Amino acid sequence: MSQSPTDATPHLQTQKPSQGGTPNNSVRAVRTTFAIARNAFREAVRDRVLYNLVLFVLLLTAGAIFLGELSAGQETKIIIDLGLSAMLLFGVFIAIFVGVGLVYKEIERRTLYAILSKPIGRGQFLLGKYLGLCLTLLVNVIIMGAGVSLALIYIRRGWDPLAIKIWPAIMLIYFELMIITGVALLFSTFSSPALSALLTFFVFVIGHFSADLKTLSSTSNQVAARLVFRALYYLLPNLTTYSVITPAAHGISPDMQSIILAFAYTIVYDVVLLLGASLIFSRRNFK
Amino acid sequence: MKKSLLLVMTIMISLFVSVALVRMIDAHRANAPAPFADESLYVNAATARHMALAFNGLAADWYWMRSLQYVGGKIVTFEDTHTEGFGLSELDLHVLPSLLRLSTALDPQFIAPYEYGAMLLPEVSPDEATALLNSGVVANPNTWRLYHLLGYVYWQRHHYEMASEIYAKGGSLPGAPPWMAAMAARMKGEGGSRDAAGEMYRHLYDASNDPAVKDMVDKQLMRLKSLDQRDEIRNALNSYKATNGRCVSSWREVANELRAARLILDSKTGAPLDPSETPYELIKNGCDVGLDVNTKVPFK
Repeated sequence: MSQSPTDATPHLQTQKPSQGGTPNNSVRAVRTTFAIARNAFREAVRDRVLYNLVLFVLLLTAGAIFLGELSAGQETKIIIDLGLSAMLLFGVFIAIFVGVGLVYKEIERRTLYAILSKPIGRGQFLLGKYLGLCLTLLVNVIIMGAGVSLALIYIRRGWDPLAIKIWPAIMLIYFELMIITGVALLFSTFSSPALSALLTFFVFVIGHFSADLKTLSSTSNQVAARLVFRALYYLLPNLTTYSVITPAAHGISPDMQSIILAFAYTIVYDVVLLLGASLIFSRRNFK
Repeated sequence: MKKSLLLVMTIMISLFVSVALVRMIDAHRANAPAPFADESLYVNAATARHMALAFNGLAADWYWMRSLQYVGGKIVTFEDTHTEGFGLSELDLHVLPSLLRLSTALDPQFIAPYEYGAMLLPEVSPDEATALLNSGVVANPNTWRLYHLLGYVYWQRHHYEMASEIYAKGGSLPGAPPWMAAMAARMKGEGGSRDAAGEMYRHLYDASNDPAVKDMVDKQLMRLKSLDQRDEIRNALNSYKATNGRCVSSWREVANELRAARLILDSKTGAPLDPSETPYELIKNGCDVGLDVNTKVPFK
């Protein structure tokens, strides 16, 4: 979809270059970041990213209707597994394929020049883009979560406590998607979209093997190998922290401490990813 | 317009040809010596768990549904080629243990495959049944239902001492029903009796939420009831033979005795009805009783 620079560029008031950390400037910087985020969200909606919800609804509807016969009374568990897994999978695809294009599209369309000619920092631009995609994913996840809850109520023909109990798991799925978005954005600052998508997907896969990396780091005979595995374990995102779909299907919710720790880990890891992306992006020459 | 019509026609013809090809492929596959469904699984439980990433629950559901389809497919195939009833050992369910093991390895808290395994595997592969249920108990040490199922598997294998131990362990868990402890004592004292079997199946029926398992247990309860009924009928037939020096030529000759034994008789033939309300058959020239081929009562 071709866009004019004004479509992709946030509608910014003419601003003077940043004069330092005065409160006015900080407020202005936050507003600008949110404007970029809002635009990234609008762009995702315009690109029909949320159309995946239609597919999701069809999947759940078909599941709710047909699983009763196929699963011998296990439809509640299966609808949760199916719904939350689809939520994660669709979310990961959106995070990867939209995430890797966030920066690349702006460069390709040359709208980036119009944006950066305004008093907007490159890091601020990345943060805005990141928040915009996170907002898209949040809307996606909330609608999908509501869909799963409704499907459970439909299957039970009445209220089902699992319709509420699955929400902590949904929250953790969203945290995982936030990390994947950050990883995609980081790769997209220095690599082509195809390679970025591939690398992000690898990180998603390896992130779910983190328990094995830890085991390898303690069982390997070679010291060097142990160190490498330990470094990988700590450096790569530990995505098993967010894998609670299976317990959620049995009505087991993660405890509050696990959720708080997962949230803190998400924030810290995302800060690292965004700072890394900002560092690389600030050194790129667009001339 | 003409071009569009041509395109639509081509699409329709192509679709028709593709449907015909699919039917040909299906026919070819049906004639193949080893259907795909019977091939051993090449993914072991540990590998599957790794490959599933965050989707292990969904993968467990997939293997669970596949095991149901596998057994269902075998039953349909058997019924298509045989007229008599079947025992599980005749179905050749050799892939079932792997399917259930995969499902439970991917989601160790998924109780339905353990339950299904406890019902089917003792006849297919007793060792696999014990191993599956033992792994379930290890993964869910506080779930009394799994102890009940493991006790049932040991009971099926006539290991009454082990069954008693397992029931005793399960009965001591918080939330376990009082009859678990009673079953422990019963297994020790009269594990092989028909009464113990009846009680076992009644508890299995009550504890299960799975309609397929309930159906299987219901059939076993019918079988036990039918065994009792056949004992009563044999008594009547034997006493007739002792009095008259010959076996009966029709059910009407022992109608009074059968009524006295509280059996329901068919209004037309006077034959006693089995628990599925199918008339019993006179066999061995009227000297013995047998199940009708159309009965829903399992033969074994």
